Amino acid sequence: MTSSSSYDVLVIGAGLAGMRAALAAHEQGASVAILTKVHPVRSHSNAAQGGINAAMTDRGDQWEDHAFETVKGSDYLGDQDAIEVLAQEAGEDIIALEHMGVIFNRNEEGRLGTRRFGGQKRARTFFVSDFTGQAILHVLYEQIMQAQIPVYEEWFVTSLVKDDHGRCAGLVAFEIRTGDFAFFCAKAVIMASGGLGRVYEPSTNALICTGDGMAVAYRAGAPLMDMEMVQYHPTTLKGKGLLITEAARGEGGYLLNSKGERFMEQYAPNMLELASRDVVSRAEHIEINEGRGIKGCVLLDCRHLGRHFIQDRLGQIHAEAKTFANVDLAEEPLPIRPGMHYQMGGIKTDIDGRCWDPQGHWKGVPGLFAAGETACVSLHGGNRLGANSLLETVVFGRRAGRCAANYAKTLPTPHMSHTTIEPDRQLVNTILARPGQGERPAALRLEMGTTMNRHVSVFREQEGMETAYQRIQDLKARWPGITIQDKGHIFNTGLVAALELGFMLDCAEAIIVGALTRKESRGAHFRTDYLDRDDEQWLKHILLYHTPDGPPHVDYLPVRITQWQPQSRVY
Amino acid sequence: MHTTLRIRRFNPEHDQPSSYYQEYALEIDPSDSVLDGLIKIRETVDDSLTLRCSCRGAICGSCGMRINGHAALACKTKMASMASEGETIQVEPMNNMPVIKDLVTDMAPFWSKIRQVHPWLQPEGPPPTTEYTASSEAMSHLNGVMACIMCGVCVSDCTVLEVDHRFVGPAALAKAYRFVADPRDTSSKIRLDTLNQPGGMWDCTRCMECIQVCPKSVAPMDRIMSLRAKGLAAKVSSTCGSRHAEVFTDIIKHKGILDEPMLAVRTFGLKNVGRLMGMLPLVWQSVVKGKVPLSGPLHRPIPGIQQIQRLYKRVRSKQ
Amino acid sequence: MKYAFFPGCVSKGACPELYQSVMQVYPRLGIELEEMTTASCTGAGVLQEKDQRLGDVLNARTFALAEQQGLPIMTICSTCQGVMSQANHRLTTQLDYLQEINDILKQEGLEYRGGTTIKHFLWILLEDVGDEELREHITKPLGGIRAAPFYGCYIQRPTDALEFDHYPDRGKSLERIIEILGAEVVDFPGKTRCCGFPILTINEKNSLNMVATHTKDAKSHGADIMVTPCPLCHLNLDGMQTKAAHQENTVIDLPILHLPQLLGLAMGMDPKDLGLKRNIISPESVLAKMRI
Repeated sequence: MTSSSSYDVLVIGAGLAGMRAALAAHEQGASVAILTKVHPVRSHSNAAQGGINAAMTDRGDQWEDHAFETVKGSDYLGDQDAIEVLAQEAGEDIIALEHMGVIFNRNEEGRLGTRRFGGQKRARTFFVSDFTGQAILHVLYEQIMQAQIPVYEEWFVTSLVKDDHGRCAGLVAFEIRTGDFAFFCAKAVIMASGGLGRVYEPSTNALICTGDGMAVAYRAGAPLMDMEMVQYHPTTLKGKGLLITEAARGEGGYLLNSKGERFMEQYAPNMLELASRDVVSRAEHIEINEGRGIKGCVLLDCRHLGRHFIQDRLGQIHAEAKTFANVDLAEEPLPIRPGMHYQMGGIKTDIDGRCWDPQGHWKGVPGLFAAGETACVSLHGGNRLGANSLLETVVFGRRAGRCAANYAKTLPTPHMSHTTIEPDRQLVNTILARPGQGERPAALRLEMGTTMNRHVSVFREQEGMETAYQRIQDLKARWPGITIQDKGHIFNTGLVAALELGFMLDCAEAIIVGALTRKESRGAHFRTDYLDRDDEQWLKHILLYHTPDGPPHVDYLPVRITQWQPQSRVY
Repeated sequence: MHTTLRIRRFNPEHDQPSSYYQEYALEIDPSDSVLDGLIKIRETVDDSLTLRCSCRGAICGSCGMRINGHAALACKTKMASMASEGETIQVEPMNNMPVIKDLVTDMAPFWSKIRQVHPWLQPEGPPPTTEYTASSEAMSHLNGVMACIMCGVCVSDCTVLEVDHRFVGPAALAKAYRFVADPRDTSSKIRLDTLNQPGGMWDCTRCMECIQVCPKSVAPMDRIMSLRAKGLAAKVSSTCGSRHAEVFTDIIKHKGILDEPMLAVRTFGLKNVGRLMGMLPLVWQSVVKGKVPLSGPLHRPIPGIQQIQRLYKRVRSKQ
Repeated sequence: MKYAFFPGCVSKGACPELYQSVMQVYPRLGIELEEMTTASCTGAGVLQEKDQRLGDVLNARTFALAEQQGLPIMTICSTCQGVMSQANHRLTTQLDYLQEINDILKQEGLEYRGGTTIKHFLWILLEDVGDEELREHITKPLGGIRAAPFYGCYIQRPTDALEFDHYPDRGKSLERIIEILGAEVVDFPGKTRCCGFPILTINEKNSLNMVATHTKDAKSHGADIMVTPCPLCHLNLDGMQTKAAHQENTVIDLPILHLPQLLGLAMGMDPKDLGLKRNIISPESVLAKMRI
């Protein structure tokens, strides 16, 4: 066993939220380390292409407009106090990124330039060509290197550890390269482990997006909130489901059906292709279902933008379309379709990333923080606006890091009276020791993914979701029997896949339970058996608590409204 | 179509670990990538086949490996482009770094070289209240080098690292260029002076392997050439590398074509008696074989050399 | 088949046997040459380290001169070929850049319109002479000789500037020639790698290490000789081989032939006429094997 290490703040995950949190905690003087299952620059923040939103007053924009459009985009399920924080602090965080070294695109005056994005009337999306996430991720890693913050690369977290007072006191993890388990002691843990896209098949998400952090926190007693809110992105490639940035439409690309019509005129006469993502994805589905698609897709047409413009501002997707769909965007329209993209829900936090309520209105895990896609503050409610996810990672990553550091200052090093590693190590040894030719994790994951994509997607209804629930229960029952051929300890990716599958099944169950519970249509959650939004009954969050054996325990929290009363949502 | 993946495998937990090749026959779709093939093997045939992969879309940089002898991202390489019907595709771990298991290499040496160039922005003084103002042209050309995803492919196929692990290498030099060429960074001279040292920018042999294999068109060697030009412009201290470029350019100016002995003598410098003496056997060998090139006054300039000199002048005046 | 002949500095300098041998073989293959006596050095990638635009101006001048002659350019050096191909690629794919360069050339009464083709002798043999015609001139096939190809970086990469898309066989051209000459191709990993010459004066140890690695490797794969279309590779692989072997405490002794030298032997020419006496590593053993 590797000897234990102790830190004030431990961050799990090294995407934008994790690294921003670590830097903020470090600036507060806390001792910080990051654990991540992949090297920081391999994180899925890379995939955010189009940009990062901010309403900057020195550019004639108002934070209130950004906030309102986010509230409207969320279909009024987002918590408005949190959204206000997001919109108010956005500008400063973007300037901070620029100072760290991010090479944002600039306008003729040599200042940062913007582009348009969906669900917003103003161009307030700052960007680095069409690889904004990658550009920021690499710069944050530069800052981590400069600050010499220790990074435990390729460590896999198996569970959180609580002390005798029920406070989060660290975590158990193993080093993938050696298979060695270790207990890491911490006064505060920040979960920044990203999304759960692989619960679905296909998905735009990377293979590492397996909801580990959500499941680990959930099992430790933190509630998951609004898990039914799963975003389908309107423009993904057929097959593996790779993402084509919303910037393609933001920069002027059209959506066409098989008749060559700009069909969004029928669905969103004002905002057209730049209506919010749930609206556009539903419209595409209707076009395809009613026979106006082409082999299960509609078309993204960028030809009129011209080759030079496409290469300059959309270079990465130009290459991506060529490599993965054999389409030259400058010459032909690209077949695309909606694909699972983002989880609006996640570990419930307050506006400082706390996964517990100091006032006690809801139960959680003291000492645990969360930020980024794994968290649910809630900013995005029923539907996230494009380019708000990067913003969330830096604003709330920073806030969580700062709050966690200050929280840690108030505490002594946790005292543990029991051994913590053994249960997880035994689980791993059991999996490794399991003989025979049982089912493979990959087969179960595929079954889960296709089930979710069929029954818990853009259009949902009771019976289908119940079928999905049964399938997931069945898969959960089969999980303890899965076998892997690799019996080694060193870099056993089969073992990692088996553990990830266990986490994903918990997430899948939570998504379905949330979706079955919410008997209305709101944002990305559209039920053909409950077509309308029902503010009287459902203007509230759904919280799910893990129970050892049965289905999750369901609880509710009111939506926090500050200045925008719910209105009908038209684009 | 059908193909066979011939994969170099290595299990460190074997009693006597050594690498070996294992073949897997596959039925594939023409659009399938090498990564698709590997994942198919891992998920349906042999889950002990070990590799790193994540995004599937050439942005995370996890799946660098050698495919038919050259490093590439497995996710970006179509199997159909590497083999015809029935042919075999060879898949091996990246070069120039230790192998941990199968196709997984130890990237620690790679990252230590990246850290060696102090890869973070070093502006002077406190930042302005708003963003740094800089022209779009001064910044946007950096997108090309910022596109680097640190996959290690260029390092794998670097010919210099193959013989000298102390060379800082193409990825780190491209990263260094990213800061040297950033108008906000004020440490360019220090950076260039450091890169002027042995193992730095002059050790690149200009073989263009890195340009050819880079999956993101970063063209690391072109960045190294830009660093050299910037180094010369910033008057880094004179080394064999910097003199070689300066003297070469000067000889062409005066002769139009190369005076080889002159280049060597002036590159080493007349004071560098050791290196000059070291040339003697070579000179003698050439004398014996009757292949000593003419030099100095005996080496005549090309006809119309004045035109070359006017062009030099005009290019300089336009800078 | 008439070309503007660009001999390059090295064939006129440290590798006179290259110039000599190409002069022997070309007339018999139906090739006509008009030597470009006023052309400058390409910059060899070294001048470009200092100032790439200056390099492009010099090469655009050479291309414009060939345009005036109305002829494609023939090179006999991988490095000349690669540097010119890259310059031509930049000039013909970025028209505003070509304009900028032409503005500099204008006062000399020169203009490059972007129409010059630049081909290495190696490519000309296969693409213009053609293997059928070539075979007719092979009077002394090199049966029993095992020859390792060594290309030189600049004629292998980057493939876009070298138009490998249009001429996919260019990547294997040297092997094709060796086969046509009747010799056996020795395949070894180093054939497309770097010979080390560009860093000879900068990091001699690394440079020699490369020489030793590739020559030893070829030898261990059974090569009797190595053949190269690049005189810079030749300078290092041949001229520095003894020193490289010494550095590695070994004996290598692998004769390195210029492409036209090997071709000339297969065409039945006298080794003396091909300048083989000037090769540092004596090819006597191979000549004996060929019963010459």
